[in-house]
Amino acid sequence: MEREQVLKTSSTYTPEVIAAIQERAELGRYMIRGYGAFRNVPRFDDLVFLTTSLTRLPLEGYREKCTTKTLIGTRYAQRPMELDIPITIAGMSFGALSYNAKVALGRAATLLGTSTTTGDGGMLPAEREASSKLVYQCLPSRYGFNPTDLKKADAIEIVVGQGAKPGGGGLLLGQKVNKVVAGMRTLPEGVDQRSPCRHPDWIGPDDLRIKIEELREATDWEIPIYVKMGATRVKDDVKLAVKAGADAIVLDGMEGGTAATQSIFQEHTGIPTLPALVQAVEALQEIGVYGEVQLIISGGIRSGPDVAKALALGADAVSLGTATLIAMGCNKPVYIEDYHKLGTEPYHCHHCHTGMCPVGITTQDAELMQRLPVDEATTYVANYLQSLVMEIQSLARACGKSNVHNLEREDLVALTLEASAMAKLPLAGTDFIMGQS
Amino acid sequence: MHQTIPQQTLIDCTNLTTREINQKLKALASESIPTVKLLNPAGRHNLAVGITQNIAISIEGPVGYYCGGLSENINIEVFGDCGWSVGENFMSGNITIHGNASANAAASAQGGKICVLGHAGARAGISLKGATIIVTGNVGYGSAFMMQQGCMIVCGNAGANLADSIYDGVIFVGGEINSLGADAKLEPMNNADWQLLEQELSILNISAKNYNFKKVICAKQLYHFKAKDWANY
Ligand SMILES: Cc1cc2nc3c(=O)[nH]c(=O)nc-3n(C[C@H](O)[C@H](O)[C@H](O)COP(=O)(O)O)c2cc1C
Repeated sequence: MEREQVLKTSSTYTPEVIAAIQERAELGRYMIRGYGAFRNVPRFDDLVFLTTSLTRLPLEGYREKCTTKTLIGTRYAQRPMELDIPITIAGMSFGALSYNAKVALGRAATLLGTSTTTGDGGMLPAEREASSKLVYQCLPSRYGFNPTDLKKADAIEIVVGQGAKPGGGGLLLGQKVNKVVAGMRTLPEGVDQRSPCRHPDWIGPDDLRIKIEELREATDWEIPIYVKMGATRVKDDVKLAVKAGADAIVLDGMEGGTAATQSIFQEHTGIPTLPALVQAVEALQEIGVYGEVQLIISGGIRSGPDVAKALALGADAVSLGTATLIAMGCNKPVYIEDYHKLGTEPYHCHHCHTGMCPVGITTQDAELMQRLPVDEATTYVANYLQSLVMEIQSLARACGKSNVHNLEREDLVALTLEASAMAKLPLAGTDFIMGQS
Repeated sequence: MHQTIPQQTLIDCTNLTTREINQKLKALASESIPTVKLLNPAGRHNLAVGITQNIAISIEGPVGYYCGGLSENINIEVFGDCGWSVGENFMSGNITIHGNASANAAASAQGGKICVLGHAGARAGISLKGATIIVTGNVGYGSAFMMQQGCMIVCGNAGANLADSIYDGVIFVGGEINSLGADAKLEPMNNADWQLLEQELSILNISAKNYNFKKVICAKQLYHFKAKDWANY
């Protein structure tokens, strides 16, 4: 009998590695793409809740209230951000996202009583109108940043970095820099826009302190000032941001999405969201401001359990980027031919940077954008957020909590040694905490 | 406390917080008080920040970071040196410094005019987005880095890496240029350029003709990211 041929795959030169080497050989440069890290990292999935039985009592799922109100920016701001749910929409630029996508995110957030965030590209008037609570980003590029829009903001987010590319700037390819986008950014139409990686007018944390005072003076100390960072040296960075006067810290882990950056940044820089969150909480506790300076965590958050676990580990809120795009239809198996033209398939598309988004989300092409009707996209995002809130409440009630913010570390254990070490939680069914016991 | 004497309102900064000073300035601007004089600024940061109503502010002494930042429609004269990022994100109006400016003068400024009647430090006009910055002395290294629009006029010398990575706008240098940055190039001066310089500088009692002005603009070679250009970065 003939022996069946056994195909062997090298673990060093996997098909992906081979394709990547050959792509580089053809292009003579590194790969640029959207989305977040593809690699597997310890994440919230590696934790489970210890819900109630005898030692603690649950709440009735369909009867007893479970509050989700969330306050951000209570440290100095006269008007802290009051959110109905502990989930916000992350900053995604108009330019990276289409007009329809921006408006839909704003409307959906308004329906759920939460905030959206502008992005590298400024405040789109329609976005301001659509969002009842809008966070205005102050980015290194300062595209579209001006005192008039500043006065319309409900909070300011100073972006130091992003989890998808900590220490790196962005690249918005020329095909997305159409007349409107170029106008908002005072750039020539069609240029490949290279966003800077650091602010033009300050460098270290002492300068940031003065910068924050400037922004507070310009907004009469009314609205909160967040500082957003990619997770790297979390403890020191969080402490310095607090010292500089941040009202809230927005920390973006390495799973964080982007519209375009070098693949190497996404896969090889920063630390995952799970340990980043744990270290940030410890940093706030060590300097005695935990609870006073709020913590918003982001990067790869997709589900109610992800959010509930983040809250239990000490976050005040989470922020979502990619998942809201997926809710709108990103990677949906429709317009399949267009995916094929990009050389990809539904569920595998990460072509946010090319502007050819088959479902009209990350594009500036008028025809493609028509594929994303605002009303439909709004409903999808609102439904998705609503479902997340219900999931968080379910888990909270099952843990006996009438307020989602009462979820605590006690309610969690780890399923893997890595997660145990990173979250500093006992391994399920044991008293063992990896690295501590 | 502010004290009004005919035609002039005085604010002594000595015992006031920055918040109080800026609140007073905003209140006076909304009362349509035309001019205010700030005494004893003592190098304080964030003076006259975020003011968006027409007012003329004269500051008697040195100021710190961000003087006049994020403001519109205002006229500021500083009789002293100023710290980092004077006129940061300025929208419209005038800022005149009778002294030297530290780093990042006019950073990201979008409109109006910022005049430094002395030297400016490193990164003057960094990511300028449409304003005019005039420096009668020298500017430091990395000036006009990532400039997007606007005009920078330097009567003295420019440090290394002038206009690195600019997208657009124009820079005139009356003295020596230590070196140009990536994608910046010299372009011959034309009549319109000389006229513009004459017009901008005559207000300051400077004759453009006394300087050997050179014009720097974007070479537009790096508008599109290509791997073969790597050596230029
Ligand atoms: C399409 C897209 C555009 C983005 N643009 C910005 C931006 O302009 N400014 C910014 O701070 N972060 C930007 N981000 C990052 C998000 O704010 C956020 O940090 C990240 O998406 C969170 O991770 P997640 O996508 O896994 O939820 C962008 C992300 C995406 C997906």
